[in-house]
Amino acid sequence: MSVEEQVKDIVSKIAHIDKEIMSRDSTFKEMKADSLDIVQALVAIEEQFDIEIPDEEAQKFRNFGDFVAFVEQEVAKKG
Amino acid sequence: MSQSATKVRVAVDAMGGDNAPDEIVKGSVMAARQGHVDVTLVGQQDVVARCLSEQGASPDLVRIVHADEVVVEGEPPAVAIRQKRKSSIVVGTRLVRDGEADVFVSAGSSGAVAAAAATYLGMVDGMERPTVGGGFSSFAPNIVVMDLGANVDCKPHQLVSFAIAGTVYARTVYGIENPTVGILSTGSEEGKGNELVKEATPLLKDSGLNFVGNIEGNDILMGKANVIVCDGFVGNVVLKFYESIGDRAKVWLMGKYPRIKGLVGYMFDKVLPIKKLSYEGEEEGSGLLWGIDGVVRIAHGACHAEHILHGINAGRKAVEVDIVGNLKREIAHLRAQGKLQ
Repeated sequence: MSVEEQVKDIVSKIAHIDKEIMSRDSTFKEMKADSLDIVQALVAIEEQFDIEIPDEEAQKFRNFGDFVAFVEQEVAKKG
Repeated sequence: MSQSATKVRVAVDAMGGDNAPDEIVKGSVMAARQGHVDVTLVGQQDVVARCLSEQGASPDLVRIVHADEVVVEGEPPAVAIRQKRKSSIVVGTRLVRDGEADVFVSAGSSGAVAAAAATYLGMVDGMERPTVGGGFSSFAPNIVVMDLGANVDCKPHQLVSFAIAGTVYARTVYGIENPTVGILSTGSEEGKGNELVKEATPLLKDSGLNFVGNIEGNDILMGKANVIVCDGFVGNVVLKFYESIGDRAKVWLMGKYPRIKGLVGYMFDKVLPIKKLSYEGEEEGSGLLWGIDGVVRIAHGACHAEHILHGINAGRKAVEVDIVGNLKREIAHLRAQGKLQ
């Protein structure tokens, strides 16, 4: 399963969002994810991939695609 | 297995609450001395050790787990638990997640405790958000109103999850085998109420729970349903109104009958059980956070040692009666009937 699929799985499960409506262009607001959903997803993804997502980076995410791209980049760094 | 290994292990946030750490440590020591639980205090090592020393507690009575940071009341909860991962709230919650404790009790920021619990322990499958509820002391102690303020904006299916948690509450705490469930609304007939009520009603009817329809405000204290669900906005308004009744009634009567105001004051303060009306979690000083996949109790910010003692023992009881397992089994049972997705 790709990193994107794994991230989508985690976010959809935590925020109760239908995966069908999640695209890279979707904003968290459009997906109706609140701040607790986002924090739960960040922590779950950090633990799943053993990476760290600094808050200053997380605040730059404009949409789901930015989020996925950052995780992909960090996973790639780990080799 | 040693006796100690069979005890419920309770982690207590030593740094949370208006009277922390002194009252928290005092209550924890009281619980440890009763001998039914193993207590771990989570907080700044030197501060907690000094408080333990002042209580005359031997070093082997209570374990200390160091946590550098403290979440301050008013910090945005979701942000605080991300930015303060070494806070007593996060460290204490993670002790439960990592299997080093069975229960976490905190009088710190309620929002931060709920956020940390949802994040690090996760939700029971079928429950979306942590919820708080309970009976109204004095006049209606054997009902459960859920939610009482943890979720001010709710989706219809969340009310179903509150109803499930309330049903398990009424069954395990009050011993009611098949609790009735009502939805708080502005009229008793189906179809009355706001959009949330109208959308939640068919879900509740089809939930497999013992749903009895709309409950009006004047039905709450009559006990017309054992479990009453509403969003946290409505629940909190109802609760605060209820809490104000005793004091207001006393002031009104003393003004109306000034000649006997001493008697009125005596009756309200010493005789009648309505000087301080509240929900039972508030009265006891702490309440269970429902829906979390673990036992977490949120204590009132202004709580004292006795409330912490009660919270620790109530947490122990929640583990012993397997309250989380009961909730999971109720959800599994309803799903097996094809009632829940």
